[in-house]
Amino acid sequence: MSNILEVKNIHSFINQFHILQDVDFVVPKGSITALLGRNGAGKTTTLKSILGLASVREGKVIFEGREVQGMPPFEIAALGIGFVPEHRAIFRDLSVEENLKIAERNKGDLDRKRTFIFDLFPDLKKFLNLRGTELSGGQQQMLAIARALVADNSLLLIDEPSEGLAPVIIEHMIDAIRQLSEQSTVVLVEQNFLVASKLAKYFVIIEEGKSVASGLMKDLEADKAMIHRYLGAA
Amino acid sequence: MKNNSSFLTKNRGILIFFAVMLLAPFLIGLFEGSTPLMIWGNQGSLSKFIEGLGIEIFILALFALSFDLLFGITGLLSFGHAMFFAVAAYLTGIALKTLTMPFWGVVLLVLLAAIVQALLFSLVLPRVKGITFTLVSLGLASVFHIIVMSSDMINLTGADVGLQGVPVPAFISPVIERLRFYVIALTLLVVTYLFYRRFVASPTGRVCVAIRENEDRAKMLGYNTTIFKIVAMIISSLTASTAGMLHALYQPIISPAVADLAFTVTALLIVLIGGVGTLSGAIVGAFAFRLLDFSLRRFIGESASFITGAIYVIFVLFVPYGIVGTMRMRQLRTKQGWQQLLGMLKSKN
Repeated sequence: MSNILEVKNIHSFINQFHILQDVDFVVPKGSITALLGRNGAGKTTTLKSILGLASVREGKVIFEGREVQGMPPFEIAALGIGFVPEHRAIFRDLSVEENLKIAERNKGDLDRKRTFIFDLFPDLKKFLNLRGTELSGGQQQMLAIARALVADNSLLLIDEPSEGLAPVIIEHMIDAIRQLSEQSTVVLVEQNFLVASKLAKYFVIIEEGKSVASGLMKDLEADKAMIHRYLGAA
Repeated sequence: MKNNSSFLTKNRGILIFFAVMLLAPFLIGLFEGSTPLMIWGNQGSLSKFIEGLGIEIFILALFALSFDLLFGITGLLSFGHAMFFAVAAYLTGIALKTLTMPFWGVVLLVLLAAIVQALLFSLVLPRVKGITFTLVSLGLASVFHIIVMSSDMINLTGADVGLQGVPVPAFISPVIERLRFYVIALTLLVVTYLFYRRFVASPTGRVCVAIRENEDRAKMLGYNTTIFKIVAMIISSLTASTAGMLHALYQPIISPAVADLAFTVTALLIVLIGGVGTLSGAIVGAFAFRLLDFSLRRFIGESASFITGAIYVIFVLFVPYGIVGTMRMRQLRTKQGWQQLLGMLKSKN
């Protein structure tokens, strides 16, 4: 199986709103795929549909050969999908260590992954006992990513990792995501085209709830007209 | 041995509270000239009165504690919480009076009923969230309130007059053995509090906190959040039922007011005064609530509730995180301040 994830013509709703109207793409195993598109195009909803947090009324989501649409989110996640939501979604009242510990799927997950995680994000090791609220924005984002690494996830969905971070920290984040992509496949939602193009091998463009283009990132980078048409800025 | 000492330091506050409360009746007895031996023999009217006030506060604190576990820790705002308390109170009364069951059988029955009720509330948990859950819980509790108040049930519940003349076993009778009742209520409160603290610090408790902060996030990590909410619901219901049983044994009349929404709001108020999600705030809040209510009534009379209301409004404006919550925040800020100061001094050197 070369595709770890296949999203087949899905239509998704959030409450009564028909957000995704035919999104279709595949994610090859062992790569980074970037979902691109303007604000409100439906990128985050696509991630949520994969996890079952938005209700998929039509179409299929196939993860490792298994249809997962319609399953409850906690079961889908337990199949091995890690989600890093936008806005640094950590648990503010839990300490750094508790934030990591809570992501364990099997006892001892954190102990096994400790070295890997702290090599990626040395800052977290220093602040193990601090509460979520006491971390800086960049540290919170790193904790959110680290949390998705604790359990054995073969697929990571990362939503807007660079949002609101200083350029220096973005550089560090890019390095970290590149390193962790050696262990699991990554689907990335990213507004910042520069960040996306540095990281991703494949791209999917979503426009008004539809997937309108996909392919190799290096082809997109060469096609200035397409970038301009769908993403506004070049 | 090391474990032992860390238990003592970690729970220093509640253990000091336990000791002080145990000594309180004897110390107060000295003021009215009763020797500790007289207090031991349940003589001395002032200390007996203070013990009674203490019992009421402990019962309120237990009830508020169970509310804080649901609301403050797990993030479930139930407007039907009084039902747990009231069902236990009425069941205790009816089982002792009408069914003449043995005391320990009654205890078992009440705890069983607590679990059944928690499961009843849990039926709706996966389907409704937020304010909808609040209203559904209010609906469930209202049904019980109406049944208790209905004139068809007058032989069992006493309808709007309340249930009177419950035969309390002599060994815990609040009239003859008030000191013993006081110690039992106090011990139950302290043990429950220690258990709650342990629970909140446990992995299961941490998931409950995570659910309060953001349920979707907890689901994304692969947790079946409904199970955790049911666990919290059962623990909370067992605690509220214990409080309800004590209430039925202590009060001469079980009033239908304990099945009313207003009684749930009392728990909410206590938790708000003490500090939401702090646990110890439930105990502090129960003291503040009952003592304020008592002293205002004593010195001002019936118009006191108006002033009580005004005090709460002012309180919420100026101490928005409750007594315990605000204190903790102060401590944190002071700590951060010192650290900043030390950091500045170090960088100068």
